Amino acid sequence: MRAASRLALSLCVLTLGPALAGAQWLTYPTPGIPRLPNGAPNLKAPAPRTPDGKPDFSGMWFANTPSRDFCKEKDCIQEERMAREQINLGMKLKDGLPYTEWSKEQMKARRANGGREDPHAFCMPPNFPRAWTLPQHSRIVQTPRMMVVLHEFNAAYREIYLDGRPLPVNPNPTWNGYSTGHWEGDALVIETNGIRDDMWLDIQGSPITESGRLTERLTRPNFGLMTIEIAVNDPKAYTKPWSVTIEMAAIVDTQMLEEICLENEKDAKLFK
Amino acid sequence: MIRQVSAVAAGIAFLLAFAPTTWAHHSQSEYDLKGKVDVEGEITKVEWRSPHAWIYVDVASDKGEKVNWSFELPSPVTLMRRGWTRDSLKPGDRVKVTGAPAKNFPTVAIANFIRDGSGKPLFTGTTQVSGADADAK
Repeated sequence: MRAASRLALSLCVLTLGPALAGAQWLTYPTPGIPRLPNGAPNLKAPAPRTPDGKPDFSGMWFANTPSRDFCKEKDCIQEERMAREQINLGMKLKDGLPYTEWSKEQMKARRANGGREDPHAFCMPPNFPRAWTLPQHSRIVQTPRMMVVLHEFNAAYREIYLDGRPLPVNPNPTWNGYSTGHWEGDALVIETNGIRDDMWLDIQGSPITESGRLTERLTRPNFGLMTIEIAVNDPKAYTKPWSVTIEMAAIVDTQMLEEICLENEKDAKLFK
Repeated sequence: MIRQVSAVAAGIAFLLAFAPTTWAHHSQSEYDLKGKVDVEGEITKVEWRSPHAWIYVDVASDKGEKVNWSFELPSPVTLMRRGWTRDSLKPGDRVKVTGAPAKNFPTVAIANFIRDGSGKPLFTGTTQVSGADADAK
């Protein structure tokens, strides 16, 4: 079903292509990717590899959520795609995220304020791992010694060092912290520390703090799919370490589009 | 058990209150998502800028006066991926708009459906995703 949806989307893009020709590079074919005889991307093809044999995660990514029709009218022409984890990152965990009492108090206050303190609502940077679930696209640029993740929201970037350096000691906290990666077989394991104390992991306000240590385990089972196991060990915010796995779909035949949130943000004025 | 059920119910209610769309950079709690605005009028201004495009529409009130409504749309990026261009709507265009009203501003709303003067759909959005789908815990 999921594959069918993606194929339908691809065919839709191919069909719309000529009509949208000239609209920047929104439908411009990505060169050098595996394709089916009909020209659609071959999402089931083996994952690409770098010259040294490592999986290559380079490319654009978006939450792998099936297209769903939320429209209520008969001539509805759009479908919405979103990562449901953007609401509640722990939604797939049987008992939810193991919040500490401190976290519960934080979330109670955030709920009481209608979520208006969400940094994302105020155009703050797209902090990882939340950024994977946001409704903007990411692009990974992978080199032997560094992976860079670009994000459309606020034209942001994240560096992940693959050169063997250790994580910094007592670093100045930042929105994305400090990340290093190492290979475990075909998995790239990214460790992050130095995260700011007031970050939100999802819309409902699940916290991650300066005491948190984030581990993301990236795998690419095939060309069209990347899985990210997100593991959080944050004793201030959670009673025990936890992990969830999200899926990202490869996005091809298009381009990144910058979305600078402060350009014309008006919603804050509506909170009154 | 009752406590457990209450917690789940509270979680679902919370998520419904925070129900986002793929194009929202905010919680939308400033809008009454259960309310409905349904108007027809002439576009007076288009703001094609992030994080959300806005259109302004002159609507005739019941008393015959012109009232200028503000409608929030998805981001230009989202709209471009749906095939829109910055010229898809222009001042002077006649449109029918449905949406959800702002809680505290009488002529502000978030659009979820726009038709041109002949009734042809120009944009279909959604103002919410079922919070229950998110399996609140």
